[in-house]
Amino acid sequence: MHYVQVLILGILLGGVYALMASGLTLLFGVMRVVNLSHAAFVVLAAYFSYYLFAGWGVDPLLSMLAALPLFFLLGAGLYRLLFPRIEGSPKFPEMTVLLTFGLAFVLEGLMSYFFTGIFRTVNTSYAREAFTLGDLFIPTGQFYALLTSSLLLTGLWLFLKFTRLGYGVRATMQNRDAAQIVGVDVRRVSTIAFGIGMAVAGAAGALVSFIFPFFPSRHWQWIAILLSLIVLGGLGSLKGAVIGALGLAVISSFVSDSIGPVWAPITFFGVLFIVLLIRPHGLFGKKVRI
Amino acid sequence: MALLEISGVRAGYGPGPDILTDVSMSIEEGASYCIIGPNGAGKSTLLKTVAGLLAPRDGTVTFDDQPIGGLRPDRVLRAGVCFVPQDRTLFPEMTVKENLVMGGYLVRDRRLIEERMERTLAMFPRLAERSSQLAQTMSGGEQQILALARALMIEPRLMMIDEPSLGLAPQINAVVFDAIRRLVSEMGITVVLVEQNVKKGLEATDRAFVLDLGTKRFEGPSDRILDDPRLRDLYLGSLAAPAAPAAES
Repeated sequence: MHYVQVLILGILLGGVYALMASGLTLLFGVMRVVNLSHAAFVVLAAYFSYYLFAGWGVDPLLSMLAALPLFFLLGAGLYRLLFPRIEGSPKFPEMTVLLTFGLAFVLEGLMSYFFTGIFRTVNTSYAREAFTLGDLFIPTGQFYALLTSSLLLTGLWLFLKFTRLGYGVRATMQNRDAAQIVGVDVRRVSTIAFGIGMAVAGAAGALVSFIFPFFPSRHWQWIAILLSLIVLGGLGSLKGAVIGALGLAVISSFVSDSIGPVWAPITFFGVLFIVLLIRPHGLFGKKVRI
Repeated sequence: MALLEISGVRAGYGPGPDILTDVSMSIEEGASYCIIGPNGAGKSTLLKTVAGLLAPRDGTVTFDDQPIGGLRPDRVLRAGVCFVPQDRTLFPEMTVKENLVMGGYLVRDRRLIEERMERTLAMFPRLAERSSQLAQTMSGGEQQILALARALMIEPRLMMIDEPSLGLAPQINAVVFDAIRRLVSEMGITVVLVEQNVKKGLEATDRAFVLDLGTKRFEGPSDRILDDPRLRDLYLGSLAAPAAPAAES
């Protein structure tokens, strides 16, 4: 029974990681953008929820609904502002690493200035509660977060699989030239995909705000974990990101239980290291050159 | 007025030199054309320029009396000009059906897409049998047929096909060229073909252009070029030595 408990805690954690990672892998898949500022935007969204809660008592699950369109617009705007300048470059993916690395620093600096470096967390009632299922102990906040993540990920999947724009996004991910040839406006699709990636980061931030304590520089730790997740799953694969997130979160939960919590973060990189030795392009990835 | 009028076009990649120095040609509706010439003559570059993947540095491209030179690829496509590039560029992780749906991306009307898909699948029974198979799991010939079928989804008036026989076995070649002939005869689509396999290309088309060093050197009926010993010696190296037509690198 103890191991089932550890498994459940791992899955609860993995759901939110999966949501954060899905946006990141989408950006890489569609645009070959390695977005090192992804987690910084998650933290920004967490502050958004924090201040709405502190000021007006708005529940983070509600403020998430506002964060989705806001972060979509922010993402689409940033893409149009920053990326066309480097778009023609043959070293585009490398350039995006530098660009988003800088963006992460700017964002972190701004957040430190305005929000200070104090640890924050949104103390909703359910964040402190838990319920039991037989002998199993389930933290209510994490349960809600997992549920919301699953809903959003399902929505994202339905969008990609069944809508015209979703076809355009997938086509651009699989073959950018072919997408252009059948008449996909890849610039427009890229802008929208960037917006969606950021909207998902915004939603993840709202969830993070009541399950983890956060502060401006916390994003470095998260982006490291997220990168290991999407590399593990295969860059640009949504399915890979979700399975990678759940798998690694469960493994780290077992490591934390049997060896000690200090070792949990190392699990992500340890597993990544081993998987890449065996499958250099990740679990579900194609061989891509970046 | 011809359907497609290319006049004085100069083009090249990025900051590089001109690949096309001065190309003019006119394409009449309902006929088929083959563009031949040695490697590096600018054949693919010419098709890319018309398709909007490359902006001309000089000169004009007119389709059905509208200027299309320098327009975005989706605008050129909307005008009725489609391009099937030489590496076939399918969507590898989509099924045959999904690839066809993508071909009709600009159509928007789902019913119309469904209708055209059925008609296209009826035309190519091989694809119909494999309609739920992923594109990446099909043979080279089937992929080429799928690339042609996908291009049909927008009902183009002009179809430009780059090296359809590249990397295909001879008996599969016959199937592909047969499909191309049917585009012209059954559907009335104007076809412009670039082909390294000069003999096959000329046999499948009405007229031909010889392109060399970025400009047009000769133009005439395809069968006459096939029979002209002087032209053979000058431009059709692979005809003189028909054993192994070299692939364009």
